[in-house]
Amino acid sequence: MTDYLVFFLAGLAGSFHCAGMCGGFACALGISSPGHRWTMIGRQALYNTGRVVTYAFLGALAGAAGQAICTAGGMAIPTLDGAMGTGQRLLATASGALMIVMALPLLGLRRVRVGFAAPGLAGMAGSLRTVLATPAWPAPLAFGVLNGFLPCPLVYAFAVQAAAGADPVSGALTMAAFGAGTIPAMAAIGAVGRLAGPMALRWGVRTAGVFILALGLVTIGRGMLFPAFHGHLMS
Amino acid sequence: MTAIADELCSQCGLPVGRYATWREITGDRHAFCCYGCCLAYQVRNGQADESEAAWLLIRLGVGAFLAMNVMLLSLFLYARGLDSTETGLRQAVHLLLWALATPVMGILGWMLLRSALHDLADRRLGAELLICLGSGAAYAYSVLSILAGGEHVYFDIAATLLVLFTLGRFLEALGRARAMRSLAPMLAAERAEATLLADGREVQRPASEIRAGDLVLVRPGERIAVDGVVVDGRSTADEMVLTGEGKPAEKCPGSMVFAGSVNHEGVLVVRTAAAGMQSRWAQICRIVRDALRQETRSYRLADRIAAVFIPAVLVTAVLTIVHHSSDGTFENALLNGLAVLVIACPCALGLATPMALSLGIGRLARRGCLVRGGTILEALASVRGVAFDKTGTLTCSRLHVVAVETFDVRADAVLRYAAALERHSGHPFERSIVDAALARTIEVDPADGVRLVPGCGVVGSVGGTPAAAGRLDWLSDLGCSMPADLPKRARVLDATGLTVIYVAWAGCVRGAILIDAPLLAEATATVDALRRLGVRTMLLTGDLPAAGQRVADAVGIDAWQARLSPEAKQDALAAWEARIGSVAMVGDGINDAPVLATASVGIAVGTATDLARESAGLVLPEGGLRHLPWAIRLSRAVRTTIATNLVWAFSYNAIGIALAVQGLLQPVIAAGLMAVSSVVVILNSLRLESAVKD
Repeated sequence: MTDYLVFFLAGLAGSFHCAGMCGGFACALGISSPGHRWTMIGRQALYNTGRVVTYAFLGALAGAAGQAICTAGGMAIPTLDGAMGTGQRLLATASGALMIVMALPLLGLRRVRVGFAAPGLAGMAGSLRTVLATPAWPAPLAFGVLNGFLPCPLVYAFAVQAAAGADPVSGALTMAAFGAGTIPAMAAIGAVGRLAGPMALRWGVRTAGVFILALGLVTIGRGMLFPAFHGHLMS
Repeated sequence: MTAIADELCSQCGLPVGRYATWREITGDRHAFCCYGCCLAYQVRNGQADESEAAWLLIRLGVGAFLAMNVMLLSLFLYARGLDSTETGLRQAVHLLLWALATPVMGILGWMLLRSALHDLADRRLGAELLICLGSGAAYAYSVLSILAGGEHVYFDIAATLLVLFTLGRFLEALGRARAMRSLAPMLAAERAEATLLADGREVQRPASEIRAGDLVLVRPGERIAVDGVVVDGRSTADEMVLTGEGKPAEKCPGSMVFAGSVNHEGVLVVRTAAAGMQSRWAQICRIVRDALRQETRSYRLADRIAAVFIPAVLVTAVLTIVHHSSDGTFENALLNGLAVLVIACPCALGLATPMALSLGIGRLARRGCLVRGGTILEALASVRGVAFDKTGTLTCSRLHVVAVETFDVRADAVLRYAAALERHSGHPFERSIVDAALARTIEVDPADGVRLVPGCGVVGSVGGTPAAAGRLDWLSDLGCSMPADLPKRARVLDATGLTVIYVAWAGCVRGAILIDAPLLAEATATVDALRRLGVRTMLLTGDLPAAGQRVADAVGIDAWQARLSPEAKQDALAAWEARIGSVAMVGDGINDAPVLATASVGIAVGTATDLARESAGLVLPEGGLRHLPWAIRLSRAVRTTIATNLVWAFSYNAIGIALAVQGLLQPVIAAGLMAVSSVVVILNSLRLESAVKD
């Protein structure tokens, strides 16, 4: 369980990044329906549900991909708390390294490469506007789902973490825990508009970077150091 | 070619082929190359009906939400496993899955089914049908299984197939449209609008309704829709679309502006010089659009295969089910059949050729090189030799008269007759002779009945006297008499290597004009670059051997033939083609039109005249000879890309089907692989955007 708590906390810290990037969406959801308080809470709930389910789904996909890589390598599929096979250790090492690289821009240590985003998704962001403006009740849900698919370095980092688990279920849980962590800030921002100043946002993003860096190191450690380490953290 | 094959996809701009999807959207009829483009177009262009576009996205989002829940729930079910004592729990989960999956079938399945039914109504089978069948079968089986109290349900497969296919095609279409957007300015002329100033009011009008002499207002940032002259305002304009060069040009009252260029900072009022659809931009757009629409051999091949492919896949799927149910459970057999249906979607196959060709045509067009179709691009890739015309192609079009030789007349008289005739010829010599006449303040008489005989000269009558200017042997054929010492002097003149134009009037050759044509600065580099590409070169000129040799030696051309009439040029080209294989001919597109038409690829350089001429397959911009080696390399890159795309798409489908038939592929994985396959084709084609540098 400790793992998932860590992912939740990383999500919590990372939500400052979300607030900077997607907070505007959440705000717009609140503004576009200036109705009853409960209506607004309902819209926020739908939006965040859509987002978190998408993350969980991406996590499951990443986990399945990780599993496929391990299986294709001819290694035994590892169970959640069993010892790691060679395939998973290699995967964990590679994933950890990738996470560290992804943490660097969040820490302000590396310029973000523009064009990292999938070209199609950027095109979609434009048309999401129309969904935001729709007062229909399923709109926030759909919006949350589509928002979840928008390119985001945090999501990528946790998808890589999920892949390192080489198991769809743990992958889904990993991303769900991360997603749940982002809910408080997004809901707060959606409800009362911008909460934190730019400094707080920046420090929040750095904290998220530290989390991902640490997770990356731990994941590499799992892959390279002692097999027992894995069992420890999972217990 | 049918009318349908002519269309371009409204969303991504690729040719839709024989199997277009037609839809009525906001009152207009649109053709789409695939389901994804149809969705993406509706989402993007729903301005007229915003709520409709939003509802489409909401349907996609909610459908995806439910489907993801089905998948996650199924995942936990599989991972945990339920033993036989937990029948109640299992039934509850199954019912929950059913409840979640049913709206997905309604939301996404119905959209897909409608598309598949459209296809069926048009008497064809599409990939949508495969997915509908696969998803529907999985859903129906699961419902029956619940009703019969069975142990397994496959709602996850039903839902995943729909979501992966719909979202996958949608995102792919968005990505493709983005990749093709560099072509957009080359296709926009037909839909261009102009702000017409009439009676002090501003009215938006399609460019096609603008006539010569109208006043048009151009705002900053707008694309100018008409050719014309600025009457008010100052600005700069980017004429990239026309010239291939991005240097902004100053515009002030009195300067010409060209349709297709983008107005930068100032407001301009323009008096149109020609009707909206007669601008050079409109011509370029027509050529590019026609080029994109043209079916090529490899495209027809892929199209034809796709036509028999889907029925074959359906049969294979049924056979797979029959085969596997005979030696296993029906469930497994059904899953294997589904995998066959899904993996066999020929999306990548359909995309392999048009995407690469269109990107190639677009990249050429952005440099001002207009190619008339994919067939030409494919032919250019396999060119083994390039033949050049001399005058105006390898030499500057700015020629000058160096000397006038006379036979018992004054030099001014020779120039007067020559200038009168050449003034109407449109030949590169024209300017130089007229200029020389003007420099000597010779008054040029009007000429009547002037006729240009390509490769020979001009004939007509000046002030009532029959006159001709051109090659000596041609003048002699016309029956002109020769002064006694002419043959001897002609030999001397010919040996200079300059171009000699003999002038005759009143039945007698009376003088000769010697014209020098400086070599084009880039000619040597171009010929050199062609040689490095393994392309042989030849010079075919109507000029004298000495002139031909001088130019050939100077630029480093392998072989030359001189004193050729246009027919002789055609013969020489045909003989050369028979010897070394497919050859291209480069000329100015006016005098050598018939020769250009004979070559495998006719290439015209800098035809400021009529772009719509059919003789040249490739039109290079003015001074654009240096683009030729690059264009050949690009066409080769396009050919390689198409080949790799086709090999990938065919082998992917073949291997995928083989695996699925043997029951080695899960339907959900097959759906994922299918999406990846198209992405591979798109990414491979996109390399063309940056592949061939200068």
